[in-house]
Amino acid sequence: MMVVNAGSFRDPVNRVYEVSPPGEKSRKRILRGVNQGALEAYQELANQNFYKRLVERGHVVKTSIAPNDDPDASAIIAQGWSGVLEHETVPFVSYPYEWTFSMLRDAAMLQLHIIEKSIENGWTLKDATPYNIQFVGPRAVFIDIPSFEVRVKGEPWSGYRQFSSMFLTPLLLKSHLGIDQIPILRSYLDGVPPTEAIKYFKGLSRFKKGVMSHITFPAMVENSIAARERDDAPAKKRTTKGQSNAMVLGLVQSLSRLIKSLKPDTQHTDWSDYDKTHSYESEDFVVKKTFVQKYAAHSARDHIWDIGCNTGIFSRICSPHCNLVVSLDGDHAAVEKLYLKEKEEKNSNILPLVMNLSNISPGQGWAGSERQAFDKRKGPDLVLCLALIHHIRMSANIPNVLFLEWLRSLNSDVVLEFVNREDEMVVKLLTNKKEQYEDYDIEQFISEAELFFAVENREPLKGGKRELFFLKPI
Amino acid sequence: MRTLVNLSLVTLLMSSTEAYAYVDPGSGSVIVTTVLGLIAAVGYTFRKYFYKLRRMILGKSSNDEPGKHT
Repeated sequence: MMVVNAGSFRDPVNRVYEVSPPGEKSRKRILRGVNQGALEAYQELANQNFYKRLVERGHVVKTSIAPNDDPDASAIIAQGWSGVLEHETVPFVSYPYEWTFSMLRDAAMLQLHIIEKSIENGWTLKDATPYNIQFVGPRAVFIDIPSFEVRVKGEPWSGYRQFSSMFLTPLLLKSHLGIDQIPILRSYLDGVPPTEAIKYFKGLSRFKKGVMSHITFPAMVENSIAARERDDAPAKKRTTKGQSNAMVLGLVQSLSRLIKSLKPDTQHTDWSDYDKTHSYESEDFVVKKTFVQKYAAHSARDHIWDIGCNTGIFSRICSPHCNLVVSLDGDHAAVEKLYLKEKEEKNSNILPLVMNLSNISPGQGWAGSERQAFDKRKGPDLVLCLALIHHIRMSANIPNVLFLEWLRSLNSDVVLEFVNREDEMVVKLLTNKKEQYEDYDIEQFISEAELFFAVENREPLKGGKRELFFLKPI
Repeated sequence: MRTLVNLSLVTLLMSSTEAYAYVDPGSGSVIVTTVLGLIAAVGYTFRKYFYKLRRMILGKSSNDEPGKHT
């Protein structure tokens, strides 16, 4: 089955197609129909040493030209494209508004590195959006091959404004002001324009590193142009020539130094030290780990989701038993810690993402489908849902039955840890709440779970204060 | 570069106004990249020759990873 990727229409020179062989949803091919100009540009690019090195080092996705007699390629060419590129598949698509500060910063550094290498070799990138970068496990990879084009001498870096709005400004907001970049990126899908970004920086914060150069100055220029060219005043044609390599490379390298110097304004949270502060005795923790390992290894797993992963202890237990673990948590500090650790591991297959599970990423952009909803992307074979359900019920006010119904919609096995009312963490949650959630008890949970799942196994923990379940969808 | 830009802009701080529908908000990028690029080019050129000299004295170094410049 072939489907057009709903997020690939912006650049008219190409379109991405996803092809799933019949009955093999997990083995997807990523093909890209390209016009004659883009095909010729790729043929030239593929012979460039700088490009070959970027691919060898894993900075750019592996790509080849699909033969014209390939049936999938033929079907794409029949739609009017001149040729078809095939890319190595990214296991799970994620978006900048699901990345931690360091993930966005690493993606920015990769984007700058690629533009620098391109300019040095007479090429350029036509745009600079973080949507051109994906994470394979914890490793950032550039995926938009038709973004490479031969640079016309004297041409400015046309992606500067996009880079600034989509990478730099969110990083500056988090680093300088402690403003969470995730909801900002989720709202401003095209990035924060300088005229908006400047409103966040008041008083002396306008003098913090990078703000004057990359926010205040561009905002003034844009406001000045807007004031001069509004209403019926004609737009002035601005020359796009005359920028030397030294100017462009100097700008790219100064941005690289600036971004490298930015640190997240991260504080200790309940979950960021979970590996040291969890509420288990060591024997219970061993039982829990053994239970998780047993069901992770229970059958061949492609993807496992660890929802409410904290710092990823159980993601690591699942990691050897599947191709990819997608580890989600709403706590930025905990996910950041997981990312920083995993990116140091060779060949890690853990993809850490920040997500509030009571408000997962929706379908967004053009027609609500340009950026896919989190649960409409590639589904899991197993979901770990450990000590999460009491937060869903009591912190987010979502009834257990609705949560279980959503879990069932994922059509996968589930390992779920139910935290009873007697558990000290539930007692703490309820201490100052007027609503006491009388419907929250294990018997009701089991009867609701059995509406959607078969309870295949149960294992008590902490003297019955908690209980592990292995659930299979019915 | 930061100091130079700060000095040149400190007197120009003003309140923002909105952009308008027929004005391409990105059309100012050429001006912005020209000004920032000119300032950055000075440092770039200095560093380029400095590192070239250093390489000649100390030997080769690689800049094939993000964030590494020579």
